[in-house]
Amino acid sequence: MRVYVDGRPVEILPGMKVRHVLIQLGLCVEGPEEPPLVRDQWGNLLGMDGTLQEGALLFLDHKEKKEGP
Amino acid sequence: MSRLIVLLFLLISAVSQAETRQVRIVHFNDFHGFAQAHRPLGAQEELGGVAWLAARVRQLRQEVPSLFLAAGDMIQGDNWANLFKGESVVRLLNQMGLDAMVLGNHEFDFGQEVLRQRIQEARFQVLGANLEGLQGVLPHLVKEVGGIKVGIVGILGADTPVTTHPRNVSGLGFLDPAQTLLAQARELSPKVDLLVALTHCGYGVDRELASRVPQVQVIVGGHSHTRLDRPALVGNTIILQAWEHGKALGILDLWLEDRKITRWEGRLEEIRPSAGKPDQEVQELVEHYSNKLKEILGQVIGHSLVDLDGEKVRTQETNLGNLVADVLREVAGAQVAIINAGSIRKSIPKGPISMEQVYGALPFDNYVVGLPLRGSQLWEALEHGVSGKGGGRFPQVSGLRISYAASAPQGSRLRGVLVNGRPLDPEATYLVATNDFLAAGGDGYKGFPRALGEYQQAGGALYGKSFLYSDPGRWVRDILVEHIRKATPIFASVQGRIQELEER
Repeated sequence: MRVYVDGRPVEILPGMKVRHVLIQLGLCVEGPEEPPLVRDQWGNLLGMDGTLQEGALLFLDHKEKKEGP
Repeated sequence: MSRLIVLLFLLISAVSQAETRQVRIVHFNDFHGFAQAHRPLGAQEELGGVAWLAARVRQLRQEVPSLFLAAGDMIQGDNWANLFKGESVVRLLNQMGLDAMVLGNHEFDFGQEVLRQRIQEARFQVLGANLEGLQGVLPHLVKEVGGIKVGIVGILGADTPVTTHPRNVSGLGFLDPAQTLLAQARELSPKVDLLVALTHCGYGVDRELASRVPQVQVIVGGHSHTRLDRPALVGNTIILQAWEHGKALGILDLWLEDRKITRWEGRLEEIRPSAGKPDQEVQELVEHYSNKLKEILGQVIGHSLVDLDGEKVRTQETNLGNLVADVLREVAGAQVAIINAGSIRKSIPKGPISMEQVYGALPFDNYVVGLPLRGSQLWEALEHGVSGKGGGRFPQVSGLRISYAASAPQGSRLRGVLVNGRPLDPEATYLVATNDFLAAGGDGYKGFPRALGEYQQAGGALYGKSFLYSDPGRWVRDILVEHIRKATPIFASVQGRIQELEER
């Protein structure tokens, strides 16, 4: 299935999660660096293990990453 | 006369006050067995810790007549849950006095027999109105709380059958969430004061449900792990979701008058062990299973006749790399398997093998994926792998013999590929087993998601047959544990699957 990150299409398997999208984009999900925050189209923060819907619109939020949730 | 008017006024006021009743909904979702407090990536301090969450739940429930609800994906995920197939979590929820839970897709991950057992153990109601064929699951629950009759309808996500392994849902029926909820709402609405949908569909779907079934006054959701700091409102329906892993608790206070919500206030509270005291009984339960977990991890599960090498995996073929790749290939029923060296972190010495050693060797929460790749795409993936000699992307393989020249320029190092003894056909399609990290394009394996995209756009079938395999509920390390138990004593060798050529 396809989701969109900042407008860019990303292809994932059903059941894959927010972290798989970040993996595909080459963004950190393991290790010391903080990954960007991921928000849905309504501006809500999503957990790394959040399941995605076909056509979901996601947005990366790098600005707040130092503050953390 | 004036006295009579005053009396009448007081009487009317008293009656109208008596009709305003308050109820509190306390909720969490997608707990995934994270009983211990932990520091999530990017957080400045530890969050969660179910004993602290339980203490807060107890406090909140003492203040106002309350319902305590769980919106699915509670029993699978962390080792604390997995090694007991969810039993630890059900005991926890019993202890916490949960009222009801909807089934999430990961509740099916241990198979139907185990799930039936967990449902029998539950002292709370397990809900799923759009699920057919699982004993003990009810479509809804009606419960009176503080004089308010609350109807709670459970709705599973439409993607449940494709977000656990198909064997886990074999023989079960899954009905359309919106149609089912509409039918339930029509039946229940006239009989209750407050109608709540407890769903595991994801926030986007919850918004659609709210539009399509406006009779539902509150949706308590899960699945998308959405952190709804304040409840959302779609039409007159209040939508809630409380993030993930017990890091937050959702609270909604409602005031009802004549079956109408006249006022509401909702919020999320983060659970921070630094900011309170744990519930002692729940803490004891968490420690009980944590101690059992240590015992289980220390138990011997088999025996290896040789040292299993997890150290040289980034530079050459190793016997542990072969063992893991072989197990993945077998489980997925694939022709070949490729894994990244970075998924293997430690060696397992010759002699008795404990589960802890396997978990140390394979520490990541990876699961098995099988997907079709054209021969040219398989070549591209292997080229990418061998070009990363020394790094985490270096491959360990099964069903393949490859040769490469490490000194050749990056992108043209691969020299030959045999698939089960035959030269790779660039036009043929091969079913390739890997882990979800590589399938998602991790370590720069861009060819995997690209192939996945082509396959899915082609309608998800090649030659009329679906080639995909995905088992998101079982970690690779647990599959290796099962294999070691069955196949002990373990002997694995280096077989010349990856040959480095000396070329100048």
